Amino acid sequence: MRSSISIFWRRKDSYYKVLLTRCKRCGRASFFARDVCPYCGSSDVSIVKSSGRGRVVSYTVSYFRTDSNEEYLPLVIALVRLDEGVYVTGELRDVEPAEVREGMEVEAVLRRYSSDDPYGLIYYGLKFIPVIKRC
Amino acid sequence: MRDVYIASSSMINISRHFNRGYKELAGAVVKDVVEGASVEQLDYMVVSSMLAESSLNQLDLATILTQHLGLKPMPAIRVDTGESSGLAAVEIAYSLITAGRADTVLVVGVEKATEFPTRVTNRFLSKVLDYEVEVLRNITPPNYAALIMKEYMKKYRVSREELTVWPVKMHDNALRNPYAQLKFKITPSKVLNAIKISEPITLYDMFPIGDGAAALILASSRVARKSGKEVLLVRDVVSATSRPLYLRDDITRFESLATLISMLRRKYGFRIDDAVCEIHDSYSIYAYIILEELGIARRGASYKEVENLVYVNVSGGLKARGHPFGATGVYQVSEVYNVMVKGVGGVKFDGAFGLTHSMSGPDYNSRLCLLERVV
Amino acid sequence: MKLGMDAGIVGWGVYIPRKRIKVKEIAELWGFDTGLVSSLRIEEKSVADIDEDSVTMGWYAAKVAIDRGEVNPNEIGAIFFGTESKPYAVKPSATIVGDALGISRRKLSSDLEFACRAGGEGLRISVSLISSKAVKYSLAIGSDTAQANPGDVLELTASSGAAAFLIGPEREAIAVFEGAVTYVTDTPDFWRRDCSRYPSHGEIFTGEPAYFDHIVNSVNILLTDLGLKESDFKYAIFHQPNGKFPLQVGKLLGFPKEKVLPGLVTPMIGNTYNASALIGFARVLEQARAGDRILLVTFGSGAGSDAFSIVVKEGVEQVASRGPTVNELLERKVYVSYSSYAKSRRLIERSIGW
Repeated sequence: MRSSISIFWRRKDSYYKVLLTRCKRCGRASFFARDVCPYCGSSDVSIVKSSGRGRVVSYTVSYFRTDSNEEYLPLVIALVRLDEGVYVTGELRDVEPAEVREGMEVEAVLRRYSSDDPYGLIYYGLKFIPVIKRC
Repeated sequence: MRDVYIASSSMINISRHFNRGYKELAGAVVKDVVEGASVEQLDYMVVSSMLAESSLNQLDLATILTQHLGLKPMPAIRVDTGESSGLAAVEIAYSLITAGRADTVLVVGVEKATEFPTRVTNRFLSKVLDYEVEVLRNITPPNYAALIMKEYMKKYRVSREELTVWPVKMHDNALRNPYAQLKFKITPSKVLNAIKISEPITLYDMFPIGDGAAALILASSRVARKSGKEVLLVRDVVSATSRPLYLRDDITRFESLATLISMLRRKYGFRIDDAVCEIHDSYSIYAYIILEELGIARRGASYKEVENLVYVNVSGGLKARGHPFGATGVYQVSEVYNVMVKGVGGVKFDGAFGLTHSMSGPDYNSRLCLLERVV
Repeated sequence: MKLGMDAGIVGWGVYIPRKRIKVKEIAELWGFDTGLVSSLRIEEKSVADIDEDSVTMGWYAAKVAIDRGEVNPNEIGAIFFGTESKPYAVKPSATIVGDALGISRRKLSSDLEFACRAGGEGLRISVSLISSKAVKYSLAIGSDTAQANPGDVLELTASSGAAAFLIGPEREAIAVFEGAVTYVTDTPDFWRRDCSRYPSHGEIFTGEPAYFDHIVNSVNILLTDLGLKESDFKYAIFHQPNGKFPLQVGKLLGFPKEKVLPGLVTPMIGNTYNASALIGFARVLEQARAGDRILLVTFGSGAGSDAFSIVVKEGVEQVASRGPTVNELLERKVYVSYSSYAKSRRLIERSIGW
């Protein structure tokens, strides 16, 4: 078992949804649910759910092999600006590396991050794909 | 505050040391550095290693090492700050002496990065990023180097080809360094056509994986005076952390490094042109940004100045000397010591200052060590 | 049986993975006469990617169903996840989807297994829960990454996809359930033993005594119960293990091709097992008009069939526009080779190593 079930379980809301920490003191919003603002350290924060939609700002095609990602390679890792104006890095799926474009509209969908094959847990979480339909 | 001097240093060549474990690597440099220091006793040992738990299956590396090496019972501690662990060990040793807790401190940086296949070591080393936020979501360190490189190229209109000058230069430098891991020349086309790690980063934009160990003995002036080692003063070791990449307003800047260098300038009035430097070029794009943050080159133009840099990464840098993670910061200080005191491969620096920069991830933390010649 | 017309479809969603493989390529690889492909009436099949499974596809379909229904996920009181390709043999898929979509923790939730008709049973249970006012909304999902032994004729059809229906009170629904019949027997036409990777089947035995017998019975009982005849239905959707059977069973029951074809998606994506008839039904909803009566018939080996009569209400077009349509998902595709398909579906045995 390479990953911890309790670490994953405790944070699963942050993997299953794109959650943002909005700070009431400095006014900034940041990716991932935290109990303090990573910009100013204030605990006066609220957790809000992002639409999960945004645009690709930049991306890289990764061949960097680890024993937990090798099935999925090559990976496209993108820097995405969410519609809420917050930046997040994450996997971009369902697109050929050569077809990724900066500015491409993306949405967050549930996929497998990895799994402790073949007997361990499957770690699910959101990744990005090109928007299927603008609704 | 008490002055701190480098009493001696030792390194072994960085390589795939399949026939030697961490105990043998550390043992070799400890023996050598103790012999070189001519100090009566050691008050403290600070050990740095990044992958001990993962790669060595070992906790409390410092205690196990004192036991194995038959060192006289003494306080021993292991530090981990990711890729900058080596310089963090120097930072702790420096603090122990300035605080009066010790007069002589043995610093040992050791890493065995070749105990597992590369894809396993790659997973281990990826954990310098935030496991819960980044690693579990399949983001690895070279992905960030790639995103930063693309942003840098776009922002400053620099071509991929223009950014090959750094690794080429580092391989040239490493030819003179007996401890370097990669001792062969490369060309720009070799960099461009090497296997892709995380496009546009290729194999030759990245450090090689290797084992290494380096050791230093730091001494207070009381001890250093006795043994005639009042030569190179550890003026200061400073460090800072910064925000993760996705929370940065400008990913082509290394904020914590910028803070540290301006702190040193202010405090010691030192100028970068008076210094020989070892910088943390884990990926070649990071070298360009570091040169700019340190004020060695103009923003967006550092690649134009690489050719003329004589006193930056004389060792060949992480790129070609190698990056045995937890040992790297100790190597850097040893190298600056050597180039200022003895000369390395025909290069000797006679100026006043030496500066080493070590960091983890893309400036997730940065550390600077300022050395100053006394005689 | 006749239902009280008090439960209906509030939202629906479909997911079809982007990858497709030409069935001809599979047939050629294993030495089938390619004439078999045309006789099965199936051109290509959808292939879930390596990071997809029944849970991830079911999640997408359910998300779209909730979006279309514009309901608060916290008001959903039940999830039924019909699948025969559970990522976990033990550990519910329904709770993963439920938590990932922010659905109430106070919910019924189960994975249902009855070969290809567990999704249909989920619909029946959902309708009952709504009619009895036990919950406000119920989610019925059918999702499969259908397994097939490489080289088995089943491999020509077994594919991946998901459909989800959000069932709620009649006043919020765009279509209501008028009647439903379930007809099941012990018929060993297709099975997969515990811990075995691929199912076994009775080949020609899967036809007449299984698919045809159960569907004909469930439909005939439904028509009798409701006092309806074939001509009362605008569309008929049958479970579609291939492109041929639904047309044949339609003919047997007196439903002309024109009523069956709009809901026949297998020729374009293969047999998505628990999502098969449900994706066809979603496609029909996306072109239906108020007043249309639809016959939806599932089938699952082992064996059983559910027949539903559904009457479309006003507002269906508007709800349809709130999510990707089946036709849009059919157009979103990229062709892959057999080797890429084999990797995606983990047909290649791999040692994890050390």
